[in-house]
Amino acid sequence: MPLGLLGTKVGMTQVYDSNGDAAPVTVLQLGPCPVLQIRTPERDGYHAVQVGFKDKSRKKASRAERGHVASDLESKRKKKRINSGVVLLPKANVEPQRFIREFRLTKPATVAVGEKLTVGTVFKDVKAVDVIGTTKGRGFSGVIKRWGFGGLPAAHGAKKVHREVGSTASLASNRGSGRPKKGKKLPGQYGSERVTVRNLEVIRIDEENNLLLVRGAVPGYNNGLVMVRPTNKL
Amino acid sequence: MRNKLITLIEEQEKLKAGNLTKTQSELIKMPMERTIPKIEIGDTIDVHTWIELGEKGRTQSFSGTVIAKKGEGTREMITVRRIVQGEGVERVFPIHSPKISKIEVKRGGVVRRAKLYYLRDRVGKATRLREKK
Repeated sequence: MPLGLLGTKVGMTQVYDSNGDAAPVTVLQLGPCPVLQIRTPERDGYHAVQVGFKDKSRKKASRAERGHVASDLESKRKKKRINSGVVLLPKANVEPQRFIREFRLTKPATVAVGEKLTVGTVFKDVKAVDVIGTTKGRGFSGVIKRWGFGGLPAAHGAKKVHREVGSTASLASNRGSGRPKKGKKLPGQYGSERVTVRNLEVIRIDEENNLLLVRGAVPGYNNGLVMVRPTNKL
Repeated sequence: MRNKLITLIEEQEKLKAGNLTKTQSELIKMPMERTIPKIEIGDTIDVHTWIELGEKGRTQSFSGTVIAKKGEGTREMITVRRIVQGEGVERVFPIHSPKISKIEVKRGGVVRRAKLYYLRDRVGKATRLREKK
């Protein structure tokens, strides 16, 4: 899987493509993302790049968060490790980051720690992307909203049970085991989950404002965090 | 409130949408750059649209009264109504579309509504609007 970027969903609008047809687009503001760490099979067991997004004030960051990015933060443990001959990982030397995520790679990373990744470099000549986001939370929802059930009759003797689940046992599918089948669709938490939308066409890249315009919708609220990577599903 | 980045994208789009592509402008012998006039409800306008015919294309014009405007930013649309052979015809145009090559405002009309849907119930002379001086 290729390297991507972190960013926020700005919102949706409409632009005209090269044929003059209107395209529904989602505007994403991505990066610039500093590379914080490189994961290698020798040390971590896999290839990945850890990137950050959005600076956090030093006052708000914990000491661990500062130490993760700062090369000049002194600590007793650090001194001890240096004295005992441990080779410390390079640090990005940036401000503490609000969001930190990893992108798994299949090949060794070609970027270096401390490098600032931008839309222009990461998504150059990319035709389509995958967008990962957290869907809008709908709380504890019934089966009509959550699974699209049709509900029960409004009349014909139905009393107080119009939006219920209905029968949970099915003889045909479960051969009279006496309990509902595993995976039966029931009410429960709906939304607020990680969703990947694959193969969204890239309409435009605005390097000046770090914007990426993709065709169609992406999960989550405006200003929500999204992870974007070039797709492998063309 | 609209996000300022969305507004920015839409402003860029409006600037760009005003212009024809090079091939279009050569085919119909019109300048590439185009400005969208201020269109008001009740105006009588000519809308020149680009029609694709395989490799080539030409423009077609539609003239009538603006009876409604809706949408904002790049999604702004106008509804134009005219009577063709005794039959009312309405077309909805996205005014920032690059397929609209030109919009000409012929005359303004005095109106007291934002939507002139009442014109649909009128025929003949009653569909006329008093000209704005």
